[in-house]
Amino acid sequence: MAELTGKERVMKMFKKEPLDRMPCFSGQGSVTVQAIEKMETQFAKIHNDAQLMAGAALTSARMWGLDGLVIPYDMATVAEAMGRGISLYDSAEGIIYPTVPNKWKDLDEIDIPDNYMSQGRMGVVDKAFEILKNDAPDLAVGAWVLGPFTLAGQIMELDILLKGLKKKKDQIEIFLGQVTQVTIDLCKHYESLGVDFISVREMGSGTDLLSPRMWKTLIQPNLTKVFDAISIPSVNHICGSTDMIIEMMHECGADAISVDQKNDVAETRKKLGNDILIFGNFDPYGTLTTLEDTSAVADVIKKCIDDGVDSVWPGCDIWPDVKKENMETYVQTVKEYGVKPSPAVKRI
Amino acid sequence: MATKEEILEELKEAVIEYEEEDCQKAAQKVLDNPDLMTPMDGVLDGLAAGMEKVGVLFDTHEYFVPEVLMCADALYAGLDILRPHIAQDDKGPQASVVLGSVQGDVHDIGKNLVKMMFDIAGWNVYDLGRDVPLEDFVEKQLDTNSDVLAMSAMMTTTMLGMKKVIAMVKEKNPDCLIMLGGAPLTRDVANLFGADGYAESAGNAVSEGIKMISSLRKYQKGEIPA
Repeated sequence: MAELTGKERVMKMFKKEPLDRMPCFSGQGSVTVQAIEKMETQFAKIHNDAQLMAGAALTSARMWGLDGLVIPYDMATVAEAMGRGISLYDSAEGIIYPTVPNKWKDLDEIDIPDNYMSQGRMGVVDKAFEILKNDAPDLAVGAWVLGPFTLAGQIMELDILLKGLKKKKDQIEIFLGQVTQVTIDLCKHYESLGVDFISVREMGSGTDLLSPRMWKTLIQPNLTKVFDAISIPSVNHICGSTDMIIEMMHECGADAISVDQKNDVAETRKKLGNDILIFGNFDPYGTLTTLEDTSAVADVIKKCIDDGVDSVWPGCDIWPDVKKENMETYVQTVKEYGVKPSPAVKRI
Repeated sequence: MATKEEILEELKEAVIEYEEEDCQKAAQKVLDNPDLMTPMDGVLDGLAAGMEKVGVLFDTHEYFVPEVLMCADALYAGLDILRPHIAQDDKGPQASVVLGSVQGDVHDIGKNLVKMMFDIAGWNVYDLGRDVPLEDFVEKQLDTNSDVLAMSAMMTTTMLGMKKVIAMVKEKNPDCLIMLGGAPLTRDVANLFGADGYAESAGNAVSEGIKMISSLRKYQKGEIPA
């Protein structure tokens, strides 16, 4: 039997069909400096050029032997398209991700333009997907979008948003409803471009910031609407503290949930059972960039698998400046140690 | 007429219940009753004591960051009234801090909570804001010769900038204490960078900052030695 392609492996996993091994991919950015150097470009340049954006993802995936890839690399594309500006830091030294300099400062200022889908770098991302679908038919091509609450925090000041949750609840609910529609429209748009899976990253909503009660009333209903609208494989990713909201995350209806290193995955698996796909949950910076010993890297990855994930995902974007041998160990360990079945996915 | 205890209780409750107007009114009562207490009493035994209780509520998951932010607003509403009237003798040891979020980070919740702690303590605070270029931290620290340099990065992707700043400041001013804060940092990373202090997240900044407020209150009252 011919070996599965990366795309086949990922798509079968989402259907919970038996696999040869655990797929190695992520819904978080996985571009590394080694790929960027090979392309003879700079990190600051891969965010606003479709060829470079697609090329960095594809070169990284090929270099490390990943089963899939994901773009874009920053969370500012939509806010920028809504007129909030963009800081690309193209003259700064080192790796700095783009940020939004001019967030709305008051709920009354917010005016989401109708044409945001065609503004800023939105077209660059679309073109990069087109390139990847053409150049990487063997890999799972993923899109990621911000969840409604996190997107709201990208287009307006986060402290105003957080205080508004208590002080101006009705107004915030209306605003979050508008932003939920933006997230849905983006997901449907990326679906129409032929992406294979979508990861919705509601990264600012963990219980480091919000109470479980607030999560239930303001986050869960909107995320549920988003996942109801997505008709391709979907992932509900939240970083930070998620143990107290994990059942509610599951109820949102995504095909898989993804958590970071703060989650007790073994306990999560007990709570949710073996039928749900769980991805996670290693600390990308602490593992791939700082560890000095590859056997320690292997131990981190093995623990994720032993705790019960169906795919080993980093808890956040892989910090591009990884150690080569650590990245190799991560991928190799997933492929070798992930030969055994995971809780939700059997093996061929 | 209200007693000292009643006025202090009003200040505490206003902070805990995040009632800015009530806090302003209670702060004014402190100024209107100089025979009962000093403005510094109002800051330490009213506002800061209220924030200590907020810390307990946060640690026990009754309050989360939105509530704490509103409590901080209430605290500042009172502090803005009391601070101009604090006598020089009452201010305690004069110290200064330069703080900000590093370039690439537009989040400043954790930074602002730490700033609150220094404001209560009566330090001279040089707040550089957020998305601050690395060289600006170095320049300001050297200009002011501040006792502390506090930097925050909420994103993993921005925290590496801190390492460069620490190296530059320590080279020129080895006595400056350096505090790091931010969600992605671990104590190991802070140690690796050569920092002197560390707070894990906005949440930890709340807990740690409030514990420091508590220590400050005891120090000001002479309960612990300098």
